Amino acid sequence: MRHPSLVARMAVVGSLLFAVYAVAAVVAMGAFGVPLWLVLIGSVLFVGVQYKIGKWAALRSVGAEDLPEEQYPEIHRQVEALSGEMGIEKPRLMIARMGVPNAFAVGRKGAGTVVVSEELLRRLNADEVEGVLAHELAHIGNRDVVMMVLGQGIASIVSIVAQWAVLLTGDNDLADFFLAIVVGQVVQMFVMLFVFAISRYREYVADSDAAGAIGGGEPLASALEKISQGNERASESAVDEQVNALCIFGEGRGLARLFATHPPVEKRIERLRN
Amino acid sequence: MDYRTLLAAALGVGLGMLLIVAPEAIVRAHTTGRVPGERGGEYGTDSVPDDRVRLLVRVVGVGLVAAGLYFGATGFGML
Repeated sequence: MRHPSLVARMAVVGSLLFAVYAVAAVVAMGAFGVPLWLVLIGSVLFVGVQYKIGKWAALRSVGAEDLPEEQYPEIHRQVEALSGEMGIEKPRLMIARMGVPNAFAVGRKGAGTVVVSEELLRRLNADEVEGVLAHELAHIGNRDVVMMVLGQGIASIVSIVAQWAVLLTGDNDLADFFLAIVVGQVVQMFVMLFVFAISRYREYVADSDAAGAIGGGEPLASALEKISQGNERASESAVDEQVNALCIFGEGRGLARLFATHPPVEKRIERLRN
Repeated sequence: MDYRTLLAAALGVGLGMLLIVAPEAIVRAHTTGRVPGERGGEYGTDSVPDDRVRLLVRVVGVGLVAAGLYFGATGFGML
């Protein structure tokens, strides 16, 4: 077992998500008379469509293009070696102009895509780029993208069922419509809190896997440090000050931590260096 | 006293306040898993929705608070 603590956390969060999904399924079957097979097929289709549309939309929205091997032979070579090390197929590599240094992975093990921004390749050195690529490959290897899609799918299904349950048990007056909408949103956010919590932990796991694959955490730590330092300088705008002044959703504070998919960068750097 | 109306009022005001104070929360709750979370921001961080989206969410939040207060007043027979 590669990550016993991740398995334990996934068991807890997975059981909770399954429990809320089961309640939603029972409500759908009991209140609306939907047969079990339709609930199951509908759920799989719902999540499948979200997965397909999400991948397509993510690549399209940043205008990602294939990373030419003749222009970036070193990156292709690094990814090939890292993929072999991590026991996954080499993903499709793409490049995009995102306006900021960034990289992300979409897809699943065997059909993954890693997108890097031109800005990231310009700002980081070869070792740091390798650290970032290793982290993204770890996301594909650990099926993190699929887990997030599943989490979102369950949250959405439960939220829709809750909304309809409120609607169909009320008097159909204005207050009932309002209550249904609000309950749907509250339920969605509540379920997503668990998804966010596991997402933050999976980031640490991906960091640890990346460090293992490239023989140390320093390159990725250095990449995160370089990018976050640039980010700090750029964030000295009036809008950010306004947001931070609320002292509740500013970077790394209060609610921000609960609703963040990523742990604080400084904590990741600290763990990578230790 | 209609408890469903009062529940609508309480949840509406609560959700509305959350949307005003933390518009990122609702955006993230709907986008995580649908699009990669870090796609819009810098590497290693969560993306922050642009100012127009945040403003829109806050306007919706104000609407929810107003509607919640209206239903609250109705539930207590003040209107």
